[in-house]
Amino acid sequence: MLDGLKDIIRKSSIHVCLVNTGGCNGCDIEIVALLSPRYDLEQYGIYVHNNPREADVILVTGAIAEQWRDKLQRIYAKTPEPKIVVAIGNCPLTGDVFNQEGGNVHAPASDFIPVDAEVSGCPPRPSEILEAILTVAPGAIAARGRQKL
Amino acid sequence: MILPIGPVHPGLKEPLRLKLKTRGEKVLSAEIDYGYIHRGIERVMEGKTWQKGIFLAERVCGICSYIHTQTFAEVFEKIAGETVTLRAQYLRVLTNELDRIQSHLLANSTYFKAMEHETLFMYMLGLREPVMDAIELLTGNRVNMGWNVVGGVKMDIKQVHMDSIMLIMDKFESEYGRYVEMFESGPLVGLRSHDVGKMTRDEALMARAVGPIGRASGLKHDVREQHHTYRDHMDFKVVWRKEGDNFARTMNRFDEITESISLIRQVIENLPPGEIRKKIEIPAGVAEYRNEAPRGEVTYSVETNGNLIKNISIRTPSIMNIDACAKYMLNDVATVSDAVATYATSDPCIACTERVIILDESGRHLDFHGVHNINSKLKG
Amino acid sequence: MSSVIWYLYEFARKSWAQNFAAAKSNSEIMDKPSRFRDYPKVHKEYCIACGACTAACPAPMAIKLVRDVDSAHEQGITYPVINNRGCIRCGFCAEVCPTDPKTLTCGENHLIREKFTILPVDKKYVIDDYLCIRCKKCMKTCQVGDAIIQEDNKILIDQKKCISCGECLKTCPVKGAIKGIHIANVDEQKEIINLVVDTLEAEIEAHEEDVKKIGEGEVFKLDMDADDLIEKARGILPNEELIHDIIENITDRLKLRIITWDKNKCVDCGLCVKECPSHAISFTKEEGVVRDPDKCLKCSICYQTCPFGAIGYYIARFLFKPSENGGNIIHITLKTSDLPVRS
Repeated sequence: MLDGLKDIIRKSSIHVCLVNTGGCNGCDIEIVALLSPRYDLEQYGIYVHNNPREADVILVTGAIAEQWRDKLQRIYAKTPEPKIVVAIGNCPLTGDVFNQEGGNVHAPASDFIPVDAEVSGCPPRPSEILEAILTVAPGAIAARGRQKL
Repeated sequence: MILPIGPVHPGLKEPLRLKLKTRGEKVLSAEIDYGYIHRGIERVMEGKTWQKGIFLAERVCGICSYIHTQTFAEVFEKIAGETVTLRAQYLRVLTNELDRIQSHLLANSTYFKAMEHETLFMYMLGLREPVMDAIELLTGNRVNMGWNVVGGVKMDIKQVHMDSIMLIMDKFESEYGRYVEMFESGPLVGLRSHDVGKMTRDEALMARAVGPIGRASGLKHDVREQHHTYRDHMDFKVVWRKEGDNFARTMNRFDEITESISLIRQVIENLPPGEIRKKIEIPAGVAEYRNEAPRGEVTYSVETNGNLIKNISIRTPSIMNIDACAKYMLNDVATVSDAVATYATSDPCIACTERVIILDESGRHLDFHGVHNINSKLKG
Repeated sequence: MSSVIWYLYEFARKSWAQNFAAAKSNSEIMDKPSRFRDYPKVHKEYCIACGACTAACPAPMAIKLVRDVDSAHEQGITYPVINNRGCIRCGFCAEVCPTDPKTLTCGENHLIREKFTILPVDKKYVIDDYLCIRCKKCMKTCQVGDAIIQEDNKILIDQKKCISCGECLKTCPVKGAIKGIHIANVDEQKEIINLVVDTLEAEIEAHEEDVKKIGEGEVFKLDMDADDLIEKARGILPNEELIHDIIENITDRLKLRIITWDKNKCVDCGLCVKECPSHAISFTKEEGVVRDPDKCLKCSICYQTCPFGAIGYYIARFLFKPSENGGNIIHITLKTSDLPVRS
């Protein structure tokens, strides 16, 4: 009973923190575009807060640059449970074009923190991000919440 | 006290550390620490062929990705000593202006978000979506377009596309004026933006401010005046203002959007027929080229051996603008929330800025921990 | 107060109220426009396995060639596979694909034909005119069809059409007549070449006593283990294929000239001191005539000048081949030069 109630609340109110760990910015502005009236992320109960301390979902966009190797783990530790991590774009998945000779990145992001879902594309269209977040995030948060109980 | 903001902070979209020296609520001065998203893109480009390089140049920055590819293509055309066909030049202007509109709308929307005017923020993003549609229709992708090549553009535009872009522009213009008026004559918005974050013309000159930030402080400088397509075929005027405060910077962007719409109309009405792409043989050589990005002047200097990029260095506008913001605009700002809004109005693009390569004495190892750390290392 | 009224007026518009009542997202926000460049689609049956797409791709992990396993009656086909996690949707692979119809389609990019496509490859194939026997076997096997041309009785590769598939190299009957040259990492390649030449010279100098015994018409053979050399080269550039290619290419044409100096036969006449163009030979009372190997150009003038036969001049040739126990060896052959001696 209580579990069910918590599930409903967790599914319907998701706070998102956006962390750019060294990308080209393209994915970030596509996430900002999701806030626009056309996609209207907030109608699904998702609110982009950009504050790790009250986030349920961390969106990682970007290959891991030198400075983020320890800071990303600190951000992950500061986020309260239950939390999930979604990797947006190719950078956190494979390092994209930066992960070759001369690049100074430490992709993938899953080497540093556990990644629950991923959206590929460089950058993905807002509709693709929306689709991925809506299919994965609510269920994953509810499941993660039950695990800890 | 020192109030640190960032790198992950509700007020900032991109990671950057803003250290505000405050007394009470008043901000005395500010310091900026970069280096959070340095990826070494210039070093990645070195030793690659120029055909690949244009896709890498696109990923220097996601917001103004188009102008990077155009400048990259034009610097190679300068090395070869050729210009592309007139139709390709017109199409480049068309995409450049569409890109400028969406970038300025995004910059202004960030400012409105920073000063907590959620309504205008939503209006700006709502306006931006049709423009993104036009870009996607024209080039095939929303952000990293992959449309420019050395020698022209990849895809031709058909009458259908021109009609739908015109339709989008008509609709855009009919709504757009109302929002500008909302900002220009809104009394509460005016209180938050008039005389906040002032930068005088001399200070702008000292900080080498470029783009809308410089033009809002009275520096009448736009590289488009020197660009051959704009100079010979287009009719446009440089928008500039004298005040140098947040209001002027935002209004300057709004006025530039109006200018851009008129340029788009000129392109679509006078689009000459012909080829869109021609073959250009690249000899070995060195060249430098500059263009007007949405944020100001972007410079590429490239050395090539005809096939590979031997050396490339990119100068983007944001580095000067962010420094101008930290040194001059954030002096004596009344409140911390105004400081964040002032920072947002300088339209910082961190991804553009961070490409510094640091080599140690053996010349191999790459290591970067922010500009201030380098300075202290050099001193000590 | 005026602002409050103004905002009320702004929100109380009829259209706004209507929109508020009927607020839901349009389903067309999920639609992609017709010109949208999605991930490339692969049509396996057209692929010729040239590798143009993998060479052209600006993202390092986006595309790779795979080959199906052979079945009983036919060979498995080779085709590119797109990794969506690495693909940046630039469509360059579809643009450079040389087949007709194209193996890869992406947005409208595959409509661009090769009129403008110059392949960005990290390997360039050239024909060594000195070794070419003009058998024209490579022209027949060329995957593109007309990338290898005949001009002034010379066989040439048209670099603008060549897709660097390497098929011609396999059919060429003369070793070293067609070469695959790496065009990236030039400085590192120079370092590796210097390393190889220095090592070979040191190896021959270690056997100086044996070399001096070589008589007219005799051939001295020597096998050198190349694995240490490859290990050292890996420290300069960790690219196995490139190291292999460089060593093979340079040993094919490398002709080292070896100068030996027999102190016992030298009578300190000093004839060679004046002749030496690089002042590598000097005469001091204490040591007599001394040659400085670092300055020596191996021009053989001293060898031709010396009336007492104190100086030996030998030509070394090399062959890089796999050894029986799985490693690599460089086979060295030395013989006396055919140059006449003034005696």
